Amino acid sequence: MTTKTKVVRSGRKTSRREDRPYQIALAFFLFIVLMIIVIPFWRVVVTSLTPLNTYIQGGVPYFLPLRDWTVEAYKQLMTHPQFGKALTNSTIITIGGTAISLFLTVPLAYGLSISTLPGRRIILMLILFTFLFNPGLVPAYLMVTTLDLQNSFWAVILPPAVSVYNTLVMMSFFEGLPEELMDAARIDGANELQVLFRVVLPLSKPIILTIGLFYAVFFWNEFFTPILYLNDNDLIPLPVLLRNILISASFNEFVEFNAFSSTFIEALKSAAVLITMLPMLIVYPWIQRYFTKGTLVGGVKE
Amino acid sequence: MKRNFTILAIVMLFTLVLTACGASPDDTAIADLQSQLDAAQSALEEAEAAGDADLAALEAELEAAEAALEEAEAEAAEAEAEAEAAATAIAAQPIVVDMWLQATVTEAGPPPDDWIAYQIIEEELGVILNYTIIPPSADGEAKLNAAAAANELPDFFQITSATNDTRGVLLRYYELGLLAPVDDLMAAMPERVEKHYNDANRNALYTFDGQQYGLPEPPAIPYREGVVIRQDWLDNLGLEQPTTLEELYDVAVAFTTQDPDGNGVDDTYGIGAFVEGNGIGRRFDYILGAYGVPSGRSIFDFRPGHEFQMYVRNPEYYDAMEYMVMLNEAGVIDPDWPTLSKDEFRARWKQGLFGIMWEDFAALTNKSNYTPFDENFPDAQWSPLATLAPAYDGESYYNSYDGRGQVFAMSAAAAEEGKGPRIAAMLEWMATDGYFLLGFGEEGVNFNITEDGFITTEGIAEADAYNSPERQPYTQMRNQLIYYNTKLEISARYPTWERINGETMYPLDYLYFFQEQPHVDAVGSQVILPPDNAADFDRYYAEGQLQFILGQKELNEDTWAEYLAGLDGLGAVEYEANAEQEVRDAGLLK
Amino acid sequence: MGVKETSSDSTPFNIPAERKSLPLSTRLSNLLRSIKRHRGIYLLMLPPLIYFLIFKYGPLWNAQIAFKDFKPLLGVWGSPWIGFENFKSFINSFYFTDLILNTVIFSTAKLVLGLPIAVILAIALHETVFVRFRTVVQTIVYLPHFLSWVIMFGVLLMLLSPGNGLINQVLEEFGLEPIGFLTSPKWFRSVVVSSYIWKETGWSTILYLAALLGINPHLYEAAKVDGASNLQRIWHISIPGILPVIVLVTLLRLGNILDAGFNQVFMLYSIPVYSVGDVIDTWVYRQGILQFEFSLATAVGLFKGVIGLALILTANQVAKRVAKQSLF
Repeated sequence: MTTKTKVVRSGRKTSRREDRPYQIALAFFLFIVLMIIVIPFWRVVVTSLTPLNTYIQGGVPYFLPLRDWTVEAYKQLMTHPQFGKALTNSTIITIGGTAISLFLTVPLAYGLSISTLPGRRIILMLILFTFLFNPGLVPAYLMVTTLDLQNSFWAVILPPAVSVYNTLVMMSFFEGLPEELMDAARIDGANELQVLFRVVLPLSKPIILTIGLFYAVFFWNEFFTPILYLNDNDLIPLPVLLRNILISASFNEFVEFNAFSSTFIEALKSAAVLITMLPMLIVYPWIQRYFTKGTLVGGVKE
Repeated sequence: MKRNFTILAIVMLFTLVLTACGASPDDTAIADLQSQLDAAQSALEEAEAAGDADLAALEAELEAAEAALEEAEAEAAEAEAEAEAAATAIAAQPIVVDMWLQATVTEAGPPPDDWIAYQIIEEELGVILNYTIIPPSADGEAKLNAAAAANELPDFFQITSATNDTRGVLLRYYELGLLAPVDDLMAAMPERVEKHYNDANRNALYTFDGQQYGLPEPPAIPYREGVVIRQDWLDNLGLEQPTTLEELYDVAVAFTTQDPDGNGVDDTYGIGAFVEGNGIGRRFDYILGAYGVPSGRSIFDFRPGHEFQMYVRNPEYYDAMEYMVMLNEAGVIDPDWPTLSKDEFRARWKQGLFGIMWEDFAALTNKSNYTPFDENFPDAQWSPLATLAPAYDGESYYNSYDGRGQVFAMSAAAAEEGKGPRIAAMLEWMATDGYFLLGFGEEGVNFNITEDGFITTEGIAEADAYNSPERQPYTQMRNQLIYYNTKLEISARYPTWERINGETMYPLDYLYFFQEQPHVDAVGSQVILPPDNAADFDRYYAEGQLQFILGQKELNEDTWAEYLAGLDGLGAVEYEANAEQEVRDAGLLK
Repeated sequence: MGVKETSSDSTPFNIPAERKSLPLSTRLSNLLRSIKRHRGIYLLMLPPLIYFLIFKYGPLWNAQIAFKDFKPLLGVWGSPWIGFENFKSFINSFYFTDLILNTVIFSTAKLVLGLPIAVILAIALHETVFVRFRTVVQTIVYLPHFLSWVIMFGVLLMLLSPGNGLINQVLEEFGLEPIGFLTSPKWFRSVVVSSYIWKETGWSTILYLAALLGINPHLYEAAKVDGASNLQRIWHISIPGILPVIVLVTLLRLGNILDAGFNQVFMLYSIPVYSVGDVIDTWVYRQGILQFEFSLATAVGLFKGVIGLALILTANQVAKRVAKQSLF
């Protein structure tokens, strides 16, 4: 018996071309969905670019006149003295957090996906239990202080490092992989690590990237645990900085020498959210390549 | 029997000596040791008299104990000398103080690490200051509460409460044993006490069991909010400033329906508001106040000569609600008001959406905030509006005043580690030699002082001026620990400026106008603790009133009685009794 | 997802046939051999398991404060027990029924309406042959996920405000009365559910899309040869192919049925719509976190867990029978 993993390009393009009415209906449906998403979203983009005067005169316009836009809000945020540091901190938290999360999640999910593993059911139950019971703010905080992790990035990265949801999703994908491939590798003398790295992981790029993306987005947007655990002003990540900037308009009663007078809070909010989205916008198409190629799928060929 | 006693005495002695050596010796311990030693000596004498066999051994122990005592005494003397040395050359051994404060300007960020004030604080005051900026409101309270739960409160910190109940939060920490009394601190900073903590009544609010646990800063400038109306709109429509509720209604209707800005579009409302405070919020207090029931800041009736109870129990409250229903039915209030936040509300008046509002004088008139509005409506004019005529048989009020300010506390852990004196020295420095540096910057670099003693930016480069955006990180502590509302500060913080149409804007004119209006003194509301079911009670209280005003529920005598009965069902009577007790105990009921 | 037939004996979650008929000694030695064979796997799983012990079970140990009058100076263990007081004060609270009802309505509606929409969108994306167009749609639909609810509130206000909102302007064009969507109890729930679907559907599509891409293309080719219609192909190949993911997601969501999405509700609700919008978590926030009643907050967390556990166990049984799928 020989095993051969073969990446098969999606053959659907030719196979379904003849079905024009169906494809046009589909495209129409997707177009409607696109519009439903784009129109409100466009408002956010326009808001971030609206000059103060335009806003004051008539609110945010539905379409910005070509010349009447400004990047003032972005400038205000990105020239903040702490911006560079916060960006660095966020990058460290995101990359470090995602790496640690995947390092812990992949083996766990893989182990759980092996149906013959003795104790699998118990481990699964124990993990699921932690998914259902959320002990809340203070028990978690007490754990972090017990380990003396506060005021370091570990406090932000470690407590949420493994998401049960992500683990179980990954597990179910591993379960879907053809068992025969793994068995064949084992018969060929591969140990479990080799099976994982040589057979399972190459076949699981989409799901690992997906879950990695989930983790990365989580760490990138996290603001509450940094607020709780980080005391050094130099450690704050981007979402906390942006929140501090935005919160001023809502809470500062003593608007005496306000730092921002040339833009308005809605524009700042919108610009802030678009800035935080940017890295994900860059990363996603790259991940998407693995989605559209018709990734998998191996088969067992005699 | 005697022998047992002797052995006991020896063991006691031994233990004491060991403890004395282990712990850092102080005077009381030495005195203790001395008296125990005496006791042991007399026991030994007794034993001697009895001719005990272990005499020699005992004597040896005694000698050892005496030696230990001497050693301890020497050590204590050494420590004392050390303390003296530290007082003269404090920099030799600076200590770390963790301090958590809210920022004055949250968007500006913290001062840089090489800030000159950090150097001075370390070199002259012996404090390595770890200054953490915590977020205001709920985030900040969650951070502090979590730290409190883990017994990890910082050395010195600002009490933060999302519901503005700083005294309640402080009391909670005190009851949990997490705070240190600040009486010693007060004694060690005479000038600061004179400037900042000079109000015995205020200090009393934070005094529990004879010891003071909070340092209450002077409240933000009192009576700083009031009603303003678009004078230009009134003029356009040929109307007078309203002085009664009827006139207010008519003006609000005219503002809504008669295109007061003359732009040919029906896009204005009479009144703008948002929910902030108790019940329907305090943006309508001048209306409720005309009925004598300004409940936005305190739901309890603190009017002199009135029974202490919830305002809603007054029949006038029902009349006030009827008036609010009428306003809502006429559609003269910005329809989004129940769901808006403060910044959305503020964006709306800048857009000219409504012509009557309750606003903070600084938020309205400060150059940075007013300029967008000014650019859009250069000929507009917001005029302050006086208290409306009473709509009941009694006095009309503008608002009530609760005198809440910022409060600071020291953790019990910090006191145990002996950080108190240095914290006090630092606070005293902030009120004396460090005052200008932390409040405005360096004289000659960031500000100048005029001949009559006021702050000016004349002769200062724009980017260096104390009020420039670039300088904000350097004066982040000013609203927390530095300012105490002097004339100098107020004129520096709220300077006059020139509008686009050439007129001069006098922010303080608005302030002084608002301060002259009649207010209910509700300072006592600070000591009232929320009921156990606060979330449910507050929801019921606010939800019911809004449902009436918005027409979700019909308002009539019966439904109002039902509403009040529901409050009682949630423990209103008990809440009232407790509140009265608390206010009476604090001596704040007039 | 690999080559996956949907016959009941090869469903991905099932443990293979148990060997209860064998004698104990044989079963034991089989087990030992099996453990030995998998020792590499156990080693791999060790770090995550230690992680769970410390970071998930550690806090759960601390969660005993739910049954205690927690005092920081006494610590978790030293604080005095008070039994079920905290649970009682939650269950006896004035709005308890309201809170549960609102929470369940929100989370059920989000699941029941949101999940099919996400699946349909994923299938549509998978079916279309216009690759570039698909890439564009895919990239755009997942963007709203990144909007925080603070921003979403601003967007919704611009759309829904009775004064100048886009939708109300349209209504007025047709001579209809403007509607206060955000402040009217009649409309608030619809606003919450539909804004959630708008924001999150694209994002949840990623998962189903990944699953669809895992289906063996040969199956589709075979279907074509057999002359299956488009709908038949979707029904018999695509849906079964992603069924395990659908079941898994549904089960997990049921386990969290008492989480209605705190951030969203907290940002969108206001006093006039408390009657239809106040949920367990917003109540806990107001009563527990801000009043320093952490024991109460923890108790409510455990209460939610118990309900979630009951639901997930039940749903797992149902899924086993109906869809031949189960989590355990």
